[in-house]
Amino acid sequence: MKACVIAETPVAAHTLCAGARAMADEVVLIAPGVEAAAGIADKAVHIDVPDGCSLDDAYASVNAVVDAEAPAAVLVEPTRRMKVLAGRLAAHLGTAAITDVIEFDGDLAATMYFGGVGQRKSKAAGGTAVYTVGAGVFDESGATGTDVVEEAAFIAPARALRVVEAKDLPKSDVDLSAADVVVAAGRGFTEEADLQLMHDLAAKLGGECGCTRPIAEGADWMPRESYIGVSGVMLSPKVYVGVGVSGQMQHMVGVNRAGALFAINKDKSAPIFRQCDYGIVGDLKDVLPKLAAAL
Amino acid sequence: MNIVVCCKVVADDQDILVAGDGALDFSKAHRIVSEYDLNAIEAAAQLAAQHEGSKVTVVSVADAKADDSKLKKGVLARGVDELVMVADDACADLDAHATAAMLAKLVGPMGADLVVCGDGSADNYAQQVDVQLADALGLPVVTAACSIAVDGDVATCDRMLEAQIQTVRVDLPAVVSVVPDAALPRIPGMKDILAAGKKPSTVDAASDVPAPVVDVAETKAPEQAERKLEVLDASVDGDIEKFAAALKAAL
Repeated sequence: MKACVIAETPVAAHTLCAGARAMADEVVLIAPGVEAAAGIADKAVHIDVPDGCSLDDAYASVNAVVDAEAPAAVLVEPTRRMKVLAGRLAAHLGTAAITDVIEFDGDLAATMYFGGVGQRKSKAAGGTAVYTVGAGVFDESGATGTDVVEEAAFIAPARALRVVEAKDLPKSDVDLSAADVVVAAGRGFTEEADLQLMHDLAAKLGGECGCTRPIAEGADWMPRESYIGVSGVMLSPKVYVGVGVSGQMQHMVGVNRAGALFAINKDKSAPIFRQCDYGIVGDLKDVLPKLAAAL
Repeated sequence: MNIVVCCKVVADDQDILVAGDGALDFSKAHRIVSEYDLNAIEAAAQLAAQHEGSKVTVVSVADAKADDSKLKKGVLARGVDELVMVADDACADLDAHATAAMLAKLVGPMGADLVVCGDGSADNYAQQVDVQLADALGLPVVTAACSIAVDGDVATCDRMLEAQIQTVRVDLPAVVSVVPDAALPRIPGMKDILAAGKKPSTVDAASDVPAPVVDVAETKAPEQAERKLEVLDASVDGDIEKFAAALKAAL
């Protein structure tokens, strides 16, 4: 069996190639508009995406490479542009990509349903299966391969996107997925200045700070990389402390694998108190300084 | 400008019950417009307001329960001119390929300049229907747009990618899917809701629904970790200390 990997970041190329190696005898890495990493696949196919074009417009080239390789499965990195390639490829193959797979169980792929209210196990009905797979599913250490790199021509779509500007987003210093202790802010914070109380607690615990989606996106009080849950980061820290977090499923699904779950909320009927190890009912402005002092 | 917005009607996740064996029970669940599709409607409505003579049509392919007067009025009260829906149990839980095929049949003849989609649906969050629809319609697609500006027959969009904001121009017609940041959904007033009842709205049965290309073997609630559920009270003497001690012990 053969598997193809489509990835734009080196980390994802490594992990997906390792995962592909576990499911297939032959692994082909497709690198659209990025350098093809060596030594992780039996062959890499590089597509040179011209300046001014977006990586996702390499779809005609990617589809041609996949047609030529005829793999049983294609593993795609779930970034925005790679997800477009996954969708274009699936449309071309007459299938649908199974996205954001959290686990493979034989030929079944598990994905979240309603943000984690449910989990679904599914498989492609026939032909080539297309999956997008994020971090944490495969162990990158299993990647092996050669230095062979082939070139595939860039086939421009009839109506391509024209990139007029690309501004790098400020590098985030948050790496929540590596943190043993994660303290998260929810909508219980009514003023941005109060977030300092959470940062103080996190500092005491030697942890990192995250938040729920509205704090990062509606209020813009925290960087986008720090929101936890559906479409954000999914974590399994040793300790999670939710501060002013109500316990909505969309957020909790990102932390419910934590070793120990703590909650601080002034509303004693907040759903988080029904899914934590230790909860404390109280105003965060009152509790956080006292808690930091008691630690 | 002729703008079409694709919306998914989903079960309200607040009403999904989990049975003892982990099966999900949707029988009590009301149908709502998937949350991030409201941002797509708003982005379209705001764009239409900037371009005189524009029309916003919302299309949806859903199960029969989606044919709900409150839901339809809720859509039409958001700066939308017309609603076109296929509501048929043959369209329950379609995969992205079939959804796009069904939507393409509705959208294709409308001669849209711009097709707007949301960031992802509440159920699968696959972020694939926008791309598959563009492919079915033979159009370019711009995903993750946090802003759309249209000048003549060119749209300029800022895309929120993982490590950069990418500004792209695309010739219309095109499919653009927006992140929630693109536009904050309005809260319709009573006047909007009353006016919505008078707007054109069609609901049809489905025909020629494509066969599934993904086989779903099982959908179940994940097993929850056992938690201690010890809830203390900050106003009780010594409870903050107890909480602190438990926290220290867990480190």
